[in-house]
Amino acid sequence: MANPLAETAVRKSVLVKAPIERAFGVFVEQMETWWPATHHIGKTPFEAIFIEPCVGGRWYERDVEGKLADWGKVLAWDPPYRVALSWHVGPGHDSPEWVCDMDPAKASEVEIRFTAEGPGATLVELEHSKLERHGEGWEQLRAIFDGPGAWSGILELFAKKVEGAGA
Amino acid sequence: MGDATRMAIFQRLSGGPIAVNELASALPVSRPAVSQHLRVLKDAGLVMDSKAGTRRLYQLNPEGVARLRAHFDQMWTQAMSAFQTAAERPPEGEKHGKPIGRNRRT
Repeated sequence: MANPLAETAVRKSVLVKAPIERAFGVFVEQMETWWPATHHIGKTPFEAIFIEPCVGGRWYERDVEGKLADWGKVLAWDPPYRVALSWHVGPGHDSPEWVCDMDPAKASEVEIRFTAEGPGATLVELEHSKLERHGEGWEQLRAIFDGPGAWSGILELFAKKVEGAGA
Repeated sequence: MGDATRMAIFQRLSGGPIAVNELASALPVSRPAVSQHLRVLKDAGLVMDSKAGTRRLYQLNPEGVARLRAHFDQMWTQAMSAFQTAAERPPEGEKHGKPIGRNRRT
């Protein structure tokens, strides 16, 4: 569909200076080390994020109190080349928190492809598609992200993380 | 929910303003079902309607669609940038393929 208004996917790609196995590993096994800490379900921060390594496996977070909350499911599992996940986390219908709705009809899909670019570099391509399925509750979501400092807060945390890693 | 139907409606709407009965005749669903999907999309801010004479036309709300996409675009820009930093950081004695169920703090 050429009409840009019908575009409901987001595509990102990044070339990382790391072997393909490490890039894949950091993505699926160490997600909590890089996931924006502000994006979690409910009121408590996450402590760890898990992706069970098989088709049908769960994708979930564990919060600081030990509670588990689903994010989605594994749709495709082909390490270290490709993983596809269903994304069930969207804006709440009547609350400002993000919520997980396991209704597959309301889930978008995230596909990540890893391609070795020589021994020490990996091209990582991400496509988050079918975003229109999160349509309901959209007004609440807008309210969150149009709020003052919403994204600058994330950027600040990210900068701290990078500076900390370089120390 | 007929999600495939909603997606089909969404794609039809991307072709320009269209009336409910035109949508219904192009899809294997009843007119009331099409109306219901349109209401959901309209409530979500993704679709808007207008009157043209006696007909009511539906079309994509460019602002709603763009906002939805922009939100996820920003989220992944942030996430992928942080992922790149994490992947390029020297491994801290960690091993690939460690078992699920570890107890590690961020």
